[in-house]
Amino acid sequence: MYRILYIEDEKEIGQWVTKDLTERGYKVTWLESGEEVDQHIASKDIAILDVMLPGLDGFSIGKRIKRENKEIPILMLSARTAVEDKIEGLNFADDYLTKPFHPDELIARVEVLLRRYQKNDDVLDLQHLKIYTKEMRIINKQTDEEIQLTGKQFYLLQYFIRHLNQILTKEQLYEGVWGESYIEGDKTLMVHIRYLREKIEINPAKPTIIETIRGIGYRVKL
Amino acid sequence: MKFFRSLLAKYMLIIFLAISIVQLSYFASAAFIFGIGKTDFSSEVLRENEVEKKWHTEAKSIKSFTDVAVSQHFKDWQKLYPKSSMFWVAEDGTLLTKVNVKEQLPSKWTPAYTTKFIKERYGEDPFTVIAFLGQDESNGFIVFEIPREVFNPPLKNVYEQYGAFVFFGVIAIILFFIIVSFLFFRGIRKRLLHLQEAMEIRDVDGLPIATKVKKKDEIGQLEQSFNRMVCELRESKNREQKEEQLRRELIANLSHDLRTPLTKIRAQSYSVSKEVLSEDGKLAIKAMETSIVNIDALIENLMSYTLLTASKYKFEAKEINVIRFAREQMTTWYPVFEKEGFEIDIELHPFEKNEWQIDPIWLGRIFDNLFQNILRHASSGKYIGVETESTEHYDAFIIKDHGKGMKNESNAKGAGIGLSIVDIMVKGMNLDWDIESSESGTKIKIKHYK
Repeated sequence: MYRILYIEDEKEIGQWVTKDLTERGYKVTWLESGEEVDQHIASKDIAILDVMLPGLDGFSIGKRIKRENKEIPILMLSARTAVEDKIEGLNFADDYLTKPFHPDELIARVEVLLRRYQKNDDVLDLQHLKIYTKEMRIINKQTDEEIQLTGKQFYLLQYFIRHLNQILTKEQLYEGVWGESYIEGDKTLMVHIRYLREKIEINPAKPTIIETIRGIGYRVKL
Repeated sequence: MKFFRSLLAKYMLIIFLAISIVQLSYFASAAFIFGIGKTDFSSEVLRENEVEKKWHTEAKSIKSFTDVAVSQHFKDWQKLYPKSSMFWVAEDGTLLTKVNVKEQLPSKWTPAYTTKFIKERYGEDPFTVIAFLGQDESNGFIVFEIPREVFNPPLKNVYEQYGAFVFFGVIAIILFFIIVSFLFFRGIRKRLLHLQEAMEIRDVDGLPIATKVKKKDEIGQLEQSFNRMVCELRESKNREQKEEQLRRELIANLSHDLRTPLTKIRAQSYSVSKEVLSEDGKLAIKAMETSIVNIDALIENLMSYTLLTASKYKFEAKEINVIRFAREQMTTWYPVFEKEGFEIDIELHPFEKNEWQIDPIWLGRIFDNLFQNILRHASSGKYIGVETESTEHYDAFIIKDHGKGMKNESNAKGAGIGLSIVDIMVKGMNLDWDIESSESGTKIKIKHYK
């Protein structure tokens, strides 16, 4: 069970979010101000912070948390939507969601962050694959055999797993995996994706795990 | 004290010096002339007619017509006029006594030669006076010759002898003043140009930079005034920025205060939706959800519009690869359209030049508003197309839908604030756009002219 630290001064919103997250299986600690953050933060997996708070504002609290606990993802949840606010927030926080939000979106973003910080399930069920995310072991459930990947294929799949459900452009993938800037027309990525599909897809000609999003890029959807 | 530091004082000093040197040169040349005059000439100015008269009178008064007497007479005159020469021609034409005569004279003067001599000397140099000796012509005549220059005024002689010296002296003095004046004005000009250059330089914030004040004269004062102006300008800019900041803050706070209750409404509606509801109840909740989303978008647009129309919306243009940007923009919108069951057609081909000078936040906002419009007003067509187009004159992004067109307004039609923002932003980034809308769909082109 994931432990969430949630700071929100509006009672109605706080109660609602706490109730919803609890119903979805999270353990939520809800504070109305940032005063007691230090006592709680160490034991938490993720922090959700409002910006406008009595006393210390959400930005200051977030920066302090990041300074002392780098491994805790922070999601800013604010009714402040100005670009300047978002930029300031994203300077330290991992995500910025504006109010009014839909609870489903909040959950989706929390899960992305937990996955990125590898705080979620060790085992990921992806169609016919079982993926142990910590050590990145891939088992074909149909044959019970482990699939061996080469270095670049491994990093490519890991990058997809870290950004599950997100569409990734060719540029993002290439730069994320190869660490170099993408040159228009480069076929390296396509070649590696083809090899990766040959290994993990049941029918590489009709891939279902790594979707091609025409005109944009690729996506691995859970 | 202040006066002596001024340019006026310097200029007046130069003029004063010039005038005093002219005056001094008068005195100097006078002293010079008279100094020289004393050594070379008698202080008296000689006059031709006086000499002539005196020669005649004295010739008449001579009583003894001997060689000795005439020689004595000649010697007396020689003392008086050192440069003169004299001789005596007797009645029968014989040349008798000569004093200081350098030219060749015949020993026997014929009437013809005498006439020629007189003709030659008349009005010529040397100045010649011929007088009969004694009361009548029986004793012949005596001749007095002296170079005409002795009759010149002293200044003329100075000019003749020291002309070159005076000429070059005058030229030197004139040159000296030209140079001094030139240096003086060049100094002023240089400093004025320097000041002008300093006025042209801009700091990173677009304001001029204060200049260093080196001297306390008029230009120094001008520089000081300029610095004061820079200071005031900076203060006013700071004030303006502070106001801008306040305004942004106000709008951000307003937006926050409007969104908080909206979130509460959503909280309540969400809680209600979790209850067991009738079909009507579910529909009502769905409508409420849609309204919340719409109000949210409206608040956002209203705030942006207010800032944009007051030119307070932050704008930072930079060169970005727009194809890549558009593709990344689509990654967030694709799932939204996918969820609504749209057919999504994306054809983004590289332009000749993919880098446009734009603000990515603004371009992102343009795309967001256009996609939002399709979602809200053209969802009946279930189609969205995003493609690139390159022509001779422009590169463009085309966003297409198969909705009912802008004239056949959907129920969600508002004041069109979203498109107004698109318009301001497109024009603010020196782009252009046009809309083709018919009953079978709308096509929006965002054009970047080459």
